[in-house]
Amino acid sequence: MTATKKQLTYSFYPGCSLHASGREYDISTRAVFKALNVGLKDVPDWFCCGATPAHNVDELLSLSLCAKNLSLAEAVEGDLAVACAACFSRLKTTQHHLKGDDNKRKQVEIAIAGPAPLGKPVKHILEILARDFGLAHLEEHVKKPLMGLKVACYYGCLLTRPPEVPDLDDCEDPSIMEDLLRAVGAEPVNWSHRMECCGANFTLSRPGVVLKLSGAILESARLAGADCIMVACPLCHGNLDIRQESIEEKSQTDYDTPIFYITQLVALALGVSGSKLGFESVIVDPRPLLVNKQLL
Amino acid sequence: MCLSKQTMNAGLVKKVETLSGTSVRRCFQCGKCSAGCPMSGFMEHPPNRVVRLLQLGQGERILAGRSIWYCASCETCSTRCPNKVNLAAIMDALRKLSWDTDGPSKESYVQLANRLFIENIRTYGRQYELRLGAAFNMKSGQFLKDLMLGPKLLSRGKLKMFHSKNKNLRDIEAIFSRIEEMRKKGEAL
Repeated sequence: MTATKKQLTYSFYPGCSLHASGREYDISTRAVFKALNVGLKDVPDWFCCGATPAHNVDELLSLSLCAKNLSLAEAVEGDLAVACAACFSRLKTTQHHLKGDDNKRKQVEIAIAGPAPLGKPVKHILEILARDFGLAHLEEHVKKPLMGLKVACYYGCLLTRPPEVPDLDDCEDPSIMEDLLRAVGAEPVNWSHRMECCGANFTLSRPGVVLKLSGAILESARLAGADCIMVACPLCHGNLDIRQESIEEKSQTDYDTPIFYITQLVALALGVSGSKLGFESVIVDPRPLLVNKQLL
Repeated sequence: MCLSKQTMNAGLVKKVETLSGTSVRRCFQCGKCSAGCPMSGFMEHPPNRVVRLLQLGQGERILAGRSIWYCASCETCSTRCPNKVNLAAIMDALRKLSWDTDGPSKESYVQLANRLFIENIRTYGRQYELRLGAAFNMKSGQFLKDLMLGPKLLSRGKLKMFHSKNKNLRDIEAIFSRIEEMRKKGEAL
């Protein structure tokens, strides 16, 4: 089936979190691409996209930081793969705004002292796996189906909102994560908080916000009977994993809900050894659950 | 209070509309934005009232409060607005106006976190998360905040003790200074 299929290859913008607090997202993304024999090459000298703080107070700065990173990405062949939902959103927002607003584009081009290249498709790894590589093709590569693993797919905010920017899936009722999970043999659950905000970067300034919002997400996943939650964003991961103990203390409920990155679960199904996916890095240890489901 | 030219600040509304690329007059106060807002419980003016205050030229009342700093930029409001009012962009514009004038906001922690995050880009290129957390604790006077988390994250490799600066830091600095220059000359807002 794939004999005629062109070898896929991508440039990669890891983003700051993947180099520290979200290191297991980085490790597992590279493991998935390697297992599928898909090329992935880092953008040289990439730097912070500005994330939420930059656009919150200085849109021109935010657009310029992203435009410069897009210009650095031109040096590497292939569409731009992004794992972090926030970086993905900022890079795509920049392309969207600058394509539609000549005045802004001119200001950004002065700021970065060069043209703002807007032509390279920016893709979240979800769409690379589900669409470019393809679910049917992915299914063929599954060596260890994640049988019996009930997963709450958590989209959060920036993968699908606002609808005109990410162009990834339906902005209120997406299914790309669930489709991907089914392809690797897991069982997505129906639950209420797939699209709700986790409290985002208030984790630094006002952690109380995160305890409330992420607490509601953990509670909703528990009520739906999920064994674990799957995320696509390092900030969502941090809020649900690192803050889980404080949430448990506050709500007097034991959640003990492991939080996985998409790529950790996909890699596991592709037969990558569980010892190579950074499971030891997270706070809520997922290994007992995986052993229990005979996946480790 | 009577609404008149004296009590309404139309200039501020115009700046918000220019920066956000959206018109506040399109809003007919259906309230969907506030109904779906995960943060409205933390705000003194929920999102639909922010737009109403702008319609009535009362932007200063918004800037004086903490509502804009409690917006999480989740984009739910902009996604669901039946009149395509881009409320998330209005929030960005209001924050920028408050930021530029170092306005009388009641919410300093969020502003501090934003400032340190942006400074980190200028100093290092990529975020140095350990420094971000430590600087926030020092400058906000919350020396013990998340103290127990630090060693846990360090031992798991989720925080790095040392962080190397980007090689192209000079290019990054140039972006910041060119933007400052444009603003000084009045070529950009």
